[in-house]
Formats: sequence, C-alpha cells, structure tokens
Amino acid sequence: MHLSELKALLQNGSPEFWDGLAIASCAATDFSELFQLSSLRKKAHARQVPRKGVVHEKVRLALLGGYSLYPLHELVEHLCDVAGFPCELWLGNFDNYISEVMDDDSKLYEFAPQVAVLLPSEHRCRYTGQLTDPRERQQDEASRVVSSLLELAGKIHEKSRAEVIMTNFMLPARHDLGAYRSRTMGSDWTFRKWVNLELGLNAPPYLHICDLEFLAHRQGGVHARDERAWFESKQPCSPALLPGLAHEIVHLLQNLRRAPKKVLALDLDNTLWGGVVADDGIDGIELGDTSPRGEAFKAFQKYIVTLKQRGTLLAVVSKNDHAVAAEVFEKHPEMVLRMDDLVSFKANWEPKSDNLRRMAGELNLGLDSFVFVDDNPAEIEIVRQFAPEVATILLGADPSEYVAQLQDCRLFEPRNITSEDAERTNQYRSDSQRQALLASVTDMDAYLGSLEMEAVISEFTPVDLPRVAQLINKSNQFNLTTRRRSEAELAALLNDPAFTGFSVRLRDRFGDHGLISVVIARKVGSVLQIDTWLMSCRVLKRQVEDEVLNELARLGKARECHRLEGFYLPTSKNSMVCDFYPKMKFALVCKDETSARYELPLDPFRPTATRIKIIRRAHEPN
Amino acid sequence: MNQTDVLAKLQTIFDDIFLEPVTVTPTLSAKEVAEWDSLTHISLLVTVEKTFAVRFRVGEVEQTHNVGEFADLILKRLQER
Repeated sequence: MHLSELKALLQNGSPEFWDGLAIASCAATDFSELFQLSSLRKKAHARQVPRKGVVHEKVRLALLGGYSLYPLHELVEHLCDVAGFPCELWLGNFDNYISEVMDDDSKLYEFAPQVAVLLPSEHRCRYTGQLTDPRERQQDEASRVVSSLLELAGKIHEKSRAEVIMTNFMLPARHDLGAYRSRTMGSDWTFRKWVNLELGLNAPPYLHICDLEFLAHRQGGVHARDERAWFESKQPCSPALLPGLAHEIVHLLQNLRRAPKKVLALDLDNTLWGGVVADDGIDGIELGDTSPRGEAFKAFQKYIVTLKQRGTLLAVVSKNDHAVAAEVFEKHPEMVLRMDDLVSFKANWEPKSDNLRRMAGELNLGLDSFVFVDDNPAEIEIVRQFAPEVATILLGADPSEYVAQLQDCRLFEPRNITSEDAERTNQYRSDSQRQALLASVTDMDAYLGSLEMEAVISEFTPVDLPRVAQLINKSNQFNLTTRRRSEAELAALLNDPAFTGFSVRLRDRFGDHGLISVVIARKVGSVLQIDTWLMSCRVLKRQVEDEVLNELARLGKARECHRLEGFYLPTSKNSMVCDFYPKMKFALVCKDETSARYELPLDPFRPTATRIKIIRRAHEPN
Repeated sequence: MNQTDVLAKLQTIFDDIFLEPVTVTPTLSAKEVAEWDSLTHISLLVTVEKTFAVRFRVGEVEQTHNVGEFADLILKRLQER
C-alpha cells in the first residue's frame, strides 16, 4: 500500500489503516520509509483510530548496549506494535551496559525486563596485542571475550529470568591488511569471526543470537557501516542496515512466543514443475536437467525435501484429476518428491481453502500451522479469504527464485537446541566413528559397499526420451560408438521390435546421480549387436558397466541370442574406452583404423557380482 | 533549485515526520519545535539526505542554526553534484 493511501485511511479514521500499516511495515526495508510509517502509527494512536484484532499485553523489553539505541528503539517499538505484540521499552545509557548488567541494584533490574536486547560494543571485540603474537594467545583473548559476553547474558537471565537477545559482531569491510587478514587471529576480521562462532555455538537456550554478521553480509559489508553515523551519533550500523536489524530483533522476539509452521502445502502445476500436466502430459511438463527451467523446478523440489528432513510435513493441494496428478509422482523419473514424502495429497476440483481445512482436520493440526504455496494469485486470494489462518506464499514469475522465496519466508526456522538434538548429536558421533572406520578400509570393494549404491534399469519410456537423447548427444568420452540420435529417431526405435534400449539411473548414500548410462542393442539373427553403449564419467569405476553387461546378457538370452557383438568406433575423444571390450572379456574379431568388432558368447556367461543393488530391471513391472 | 524550493520540499518531509503541524520558515529552529529533539533529528537527516540525494560531511549539519541555513547547506551540497 502506498504511503498516500495509508494517510487517507488515517484521515478517515478507518480501522483498515492498521492492516495496511502492518503490511507496509513488514515490507519496509528503507529507513526513511519505516520512520514515516512509525510517525503515522503515532498519529493514529493520538487520534485513537479504532483497531480490530487481538492486541497482546505489552512485553517489557530492555534495550542496552555500546551504541546509541535511538532511532533503533523507535523502529523496534514500531514493528512490535504493528505486529500486535506491543512492548514497553527501557533503554540503557550509551555504552553503559556492563554496569547496568553487573550492578544488582541497576535500573535495568528495577524495570524487570521479560526480554533484554543487548548490543555489545565492537570496540571491545578486538585483539589488543600484536598481529604477530602467538596464535594461542590471540585465541585465548577471543575466548575471554566470548566468556565475558556469556557471563553478561547469564547474569541478566539469572537476575530477571529474561530471555536475552544479543547481537554478534559485524566484520570489517575494508581492504586493510590485505590477504594477511586471514592469516592471523589478531586481525579484527579473524578475531570477530572466531568470537561470533564461539558465541553462537556456546549460547545457552535462553540466549538468542541476533546475527549482525549475517545481516551485514546480506546488506553488503561496505553498506552496513557508516563511520559518520558513529562519529555523530554513535549508531551501531549504517542507517541502511538499521531496518534490517530492527526487523531481526522483532522477528526473534516473536519467535519466543510462536512455533514454527508444521505443514507446507504445495500447488503442483507451475509450482513443482513447469507447465500444466493435464494439458502438456506427463512427458511434456518441464522438470529435470534437460532445460534450465526444468532444473529450477527440480532444485525447488530438492529444497522442499530439505525442509522435510528438518521436520516439516509436506502436502499437496492441487486443482487436477487425482490420477493425472498422482501419475507424475509415481512415474516421472525426475520427480524428487514422491508420494511417500507427503502426509496428504488432495488433487481435486474443490476450493483449496476447503481442502486445507479438511487436511487440517485429518492431520489433527490447527490451520495456523499451515503454509500454502501457489503460483496463482487467485488461489492465494481464496485461501487468504476463506482460510485466513493459513500463511500464504505467492510464487513469483521466475522459478529460479522459488527456492529463495521459501528460504526468505522465515516460517520454518528451527528454534533453539533441544534434548533430542543433543541425543542426535550423540548418535552422530557414533556414526562418524563408524565412518572413520570405513574410511580407514582401503580396499575398493569395502568402499563400494559403503556407498550403498542402488540402480534402476529401465527400458526406454516416452517420459525418459528427452534425457536419453540429451545423454546420447553430449556424451563423448565413455561412448563406444558415438552414434547421435534425435528424440524423434529414438521414438521410432521404441516401435521397432529388432531394437532394445535401456537406461540406468544410479543413486548412493550421498545423493542421486540421475540417468547415467544408455544402451541400445539390435537383434540380428541370433546375435545381439551393441549399437550404443555410453556412460557418464561421473560414475566410472562404480561397477555400473558390469551391471550393464549383466543386463545385456540377460536381455540377449531372453531374446534367444547366443552371442553379444560390440563395436568400438574411435573418435578424438573416446580413447578412454579403446580397450573396454577386451577388459569386459569380449574377444576381438576384426579391427582396422576406423572400427573394431568384438564378441562374447552368451551360453557360458555368468553375471558378475557387484556392490550395486538393482532395484528394477528393464521390462520388469514397477 | 533555490532556497524556496528546498524549503517547500522540507515542508513535505516535516509533515511526514512530525505529529503536530510545523510551518517551515528560514528562521525556524529546532528549539521552537517540541518534537524536534536530538533523536528525531537523526531520522530527519537520513530522510533529507535520501530525498535530496546529498551527503553531508561529518559534523556540518550541527553548525547550522536554523532551517534557512540548513536549506543553504543542502543547496551547497546539491551544487557539488
């Protein structure tokens, strides 16, 4: 909402003023703008503009530190007020925080804060000796800075039971010291980094770090500081960063009294993939590594999976026929999200607000624990109107920005460490001991076993063709014949009974490698000729080629062939596989400068055992 | 731009910041406006710098005694650009 519209609402004494003010204030990143909004708020209070909705009891909030806390306090007070969490403020004196905290009789404790925000002075976070002092000495001093900060927080908490929010330290953003800055603990750069790390990692549960280092990094270090603002009025940062700092403090305050969201409910078309599956078909939607847009959607799904791993429940709310939508989750090879990742799947033609309500009932969760994500403003609007408790995210026009939109929505942030986390840490430690043991095993077989590889071998399917064609047309090194084929030519092969083709997907403990090998064979009499055999070099020496040969032999035998024939057609790039067939125990039949032909009798062939678990073979049911 | 233009622009900024209406004149000083304390002053300066796209040098705004002198300083910095 524009400032002038807000002013008009204020003039008319309209209660809608408050909603507009809250929305404008949440979005405001500019200091002047936020300050003007705060002036409007004060005017509205003075004129007693009526306000709907719950306004919570005032929180007693103390602000203290090594800086002038004005106008920061004005912004904090404003943002708290418009969010419906007003605060009663107590401000410490400039750079008087140590005595305010340590003195039992100080005004701070008389005020009895429920939350104390402490901005310690960066001038006390600096190594006092020489750059060339022994590192241990520099490190000791950094640790002492951390202990004294933890001691301050501890004292506040012990005296007043207040939760403590403490800023850490901005890093320098000037070239001073050059590359040497990172070679000594004595530089502000390294010293403060160290202090920030130790402070964050050692903070007790009542201490919430307001990560000024991160905020300044996000703003751009040079723009986060303003020396003039320090000389003239002892500001903690540049006016440009002040709104960001205020927003962060208020965000942490609000996190103290609200839980993170539990459910992420997702639209499908143009949200999880590009296009409309009902129109474009399962093989027409954009998803996966064949196009930049497809990659962006896949990356979005991958990020959503990380939210699931952090404990967020995932659900689908889509206007689609159930079967059409479900098929993508079951059959599309590039889908990262699968049915078993979801706690609820609603693809139908009911309003999405109804579906969300039903889902909340089924999961026995409040609607206010839901976040709904859609690319369609009309759907977002329906949910805002008919299920207003649900938080909504309207995705922008560019799928490459979807991940950032979720990452910046701030609705799924984990809270402080719990005892379960501590338990997990113990578990992890024993795991890592196991890993260390594994790492110390030097033989290849044990290493391959530890990778927990799984492969899916699939006959060519229409859905896979774009990826198969892509691999066929770009693989150079591990490619025995380098025969290029278009997607249309491959589609024609599908219908030719003489040809058989399959692809291999591989995943392991560390992730999914996707489609990594393609084979095309042709039956000529009782011989199965290997027309094309290629593989992504990322998975060399992983026994994939052994499994491919096992599969070729199996398919050959099933087609009543007695012999495999392989060809090597040398190019300037595929010398890596010039001895491939002999290594695979094929016998040379004939050879000249442009080609070599090999053969392997099938009757005596026995499959090679590998460390790859084959989940599915070509032409097997799913 | 002359002093009158600057004063007119300042008037709109003052209207946004102060709750009670304040009429901008060259002789107006902070002392005469109850809300214009050292704290509001900081916010006022940030807004002025942004609106006029100027940057004052350290300490120089302190040297101006009324809105007229302040407007002249804005003009001086504007001419440098």
